[in-house]
Amino acid sequence: MTFAFPQIDKPIKYALGFIALILIIGTVYTLITQGTMNFLSPNYLLQQLQVASYLGLVATGMMMVILLGHIDLSVPWTLTTAAMVATAVGGDMAIPAGLLTGLMVGLVNGLGVAFLRVPSMIFTLGVNTVLQGLMVIQTGGFSPRSEATPIMEYLASSSILGIPTSLLVWLSIAVLIIYMLNKMPMGRYIFAMGNRESAAYLSGINTRLILIGTFVICSLCASMAGILLAGYSAKAYQGMGDLYLLPAIAAVVIGGTNILGGKGTFAGTFVGAILIVLLQSVLSVMQMPEAGRQVIYGCVIIGMLLVYGRGDKKES
Amino acid sequence: MTEQQSQFALDLTGVSKRYGGVTALNEVDFKCKPGSIHAILGENGAGKSTLIKIISGVVQPDDGVIKIGDDAVHFTTPQHATDKGVVCIFQELSLMPDMSVADNICLTDPPRNWLGLIDSAEQIRISEELLARVDCDDINPRELVKNLPLSRRQMVEIAKALGRNPKILILDEATSALAAADVEKVYEILKGLREDGLTLLYISHRMHEIEELADTYSVFRNGSHIETFEKGKRSDQEIVEMMIGREISSVFPPKPEKSETLPHVLEVENLNWTDRLTNISLSLGKGETIGLGGLDGQGQREFLLALFGVLRGVEGTIKVNGTETRISSPKQAKSDDIGMALIPEDRKTEGLMLPMSVRDNVSIVSLDQFTKGLSIDKGLEDQKINEMVEKMTIKVGSVEDSVATLSGGNQQKVVIAKWLMTGAQIILLNDPTRGIDVGTKQELYQLFRELADAGNSIIFYSTDYDELIGLCDRVMIFYAGKILKELVGDQINETNIVASSLNIDLSGPEKENAE
Repeated sequence: MTFAFPQIDKPIKYALGFIALILIIGTVYTLITQGTMNFLSPNYLLQQLQVASYLGLVATGMMMVILLGHIDLSVPWTLTTAAMVATAVGGDMAIPAGLLTGLMVGLVNGLGVAFLRVPSMIFTLGVNTVLQGLMVIQTGGFSPRSEATPIMEYLASSSILGIPTSLLVWLSIAVLIIYMLNKMPMGRYIFAMGNRESAAYLSGINTRLILIGTFVICSLCASMAGILLAGYSAKAYQGMGDLYLLPAIAAVVIGGTNILGGKGTFAGTFVGAILIVLLQSVLSVMQMPEAGRQVIYGCVIIGMLLVYGRGDKKES
Repeated sequence: MTEQQSQFALDLTGVSKRYGGVTALNEVDFKCKPGSIHAILGENGAGKSTLIKIISGVVQPDDGVIKIGDDAVHFTTPQHATDKGVVCIFQELSLMPDMSVADNICLTDPPRNWLGLIDSAEQIRISEELLARVDCDDINPRELVKNLPLSRRQMVEIAKALGRNPKILILDEATSALAAADVEKVYEILKGLREDGLTLLYISHRMHEIEELADTYSVFRNGSHIETFEKGKRSDQEIVEMMIGREISSVFPPKPEKSETLPHVLEVENLNWTDRLTNISLSLGKGETIGLGGLDGQGQREFLLALFGVLRGVEGTIKVNGTETRISSPKQAKSDDIGMALIPEDRKTEGLMLPMSVRDNVSIVSLDQFTKGLSIDKGLEDQKINEMVEKMTIKVGSVEDSVATLSGGNQQKVVIAKWLMTGAQIILLNDPTRGIDVGTKQELYQLFRELADAGNSIIFYSTDYDELIGLCDRVMIFYAGKILKELVGDQINETNIVASSLNIDLSGPEKENAE
């Protein structure tokens, strides 16, 4: 059920196909240049899953907000702030402090969107900038000297029976999210609001509460990703979240979640996150210059969305 | 248009338009002369708006020939119609508030200089000329539209329409936004345009305006053109009868006798909301059905929304079962204490989440019932939903199907079903049979009767007079945000409803002033 294999959505099918294509092209490349098949080795793949789990966590939270028909652009600095707070507090309270940071940011985002009626795109962009400013004040613009706690490092980069712990963290959070989306009234309300907020409101749903709750979940996911990333690099640093915003949105959308809300699955986001991480990795192994990577990366996202768009029209 | 071979500015022959199974216009022959103000009359749904859409190129007719002057035309876009001299002024103002008056007037075809850029000086000159033509030289063309009062905007709208050199000018409720003083001015201008040889098609629900302006009347009913006649040839009574028609197309279940002393479930006193609702008072008995009548947009919809806690800033007292309550959200309205349900006006945007399944839609209001601990008991949910689907005879393959795949009638049944799940005692119906096939309508009438007999109280807004007559114990006629008249028992008939909706006094001296 978790990966919804019985009824694979079209976007997931395409994304899986594209993942296979990336691996084949990469393997052909390494066979020609080095005579090896690095990309198919279990070690490489597990390592990619570990890297994907940071992005995946951010994307999972982002998916919730996008399902509502909103967006959270404050994710980069929510992630960074949570990482900095966690490393600064240190000790046993490091992780709770980081998560508390995420909770606060989520509350601010949710209250702003629900009560001030500011479009989420604007409000969360503002919150992102405010957080950035706060952290610059806090650290004086330098990387903080504080370090990640051992437990953060363990969660981020260790493994159990060969499976990366970060992947386990991501998947256990995912199980909660899947449960909520499929079993709990809140999940039903999220889809309902994403499809037609006015109808949901007139059905007597407390739409504000759902909005706030969803933004909190998104920020909690981002802050957990921040805690793991700080554990992975053993410290928090300025701009550590900047590379996660667009890939997270891309992963959600490539996974078939409607950017306007109301439709989407975790399985899609899972596959989308892996696709993006593999694409980045293979392109860098192929020693594609940074500029070329950006071009290919962007084209792939646009291309996949075009394919889905066409498919949707035929269906309706 | 001058008098050449054809004496008609506009000539429609055998024009039909069907939407799915619904015939909106049926073999309509319709002619208008140049130099005339031609009023189009008809109930809601008589086919007036479809006629206008066809003439102005918004929709294409399925059959028939349209001639402008002597040329048979086939409009594929509104732009095409404008090129041929057909210009429409719609009910809703179509001006861009944040652009200047001149920008708005020249929006579709701005004058250009030799570089191909918009020539602002010329644009302002054109605007001044057009504004002078509608006697509004005091409007500065550089002013932003949003800074003008509503009535001035309406004048800009007319100037804009004139800028497209119309031969045929269509005004669809174009005066509904005007205050009495401004209306006079618009009348003068419109009469002036008639002198210039233009054809004006005038649609209004205000009988008095039509009497003042129009020289020719055409009555439409059920998509057919009934008759065209000159002003003064028919009495108000005859016009009203023409609009209603004789045939009664629906059969209603019999109304049981109501005892006078029903316990009051809902009492509303002096409800006010901005300038749209004024001093609305009514009390609703247990098992009673109250109809809200009147023309579209007289405040009936706002009244239902106000009751349901959707509107902010509603004043007045609302008592439910004798207890005074403030209903501030739909969530509160549906709570057990109040037990209210609202079947909204537009099922596609307010009633349903179209892409979602029948099950998700039906259970969305009452998920609490199925929730055990944290999660929804899907077995219990499916069982209840299936019972409801069966009871309402909703035709679906499976409750997993998306509601978008259902017919309009079945979609409406889903909206009603989801609210019946809550066991509400007060049911607000906002035009629940609009756009629904006759068979489903019958089923719904039966259902509403059963609900009332079972002790539910219903407030029922309908644009179909037959329904008010067939289903309601009392009918409140709304006019300009007030209850103009209350009809009880035998008083509820077509003539009374139509006459009081139009604020025409056919009979007694008890005329109330509403405007």
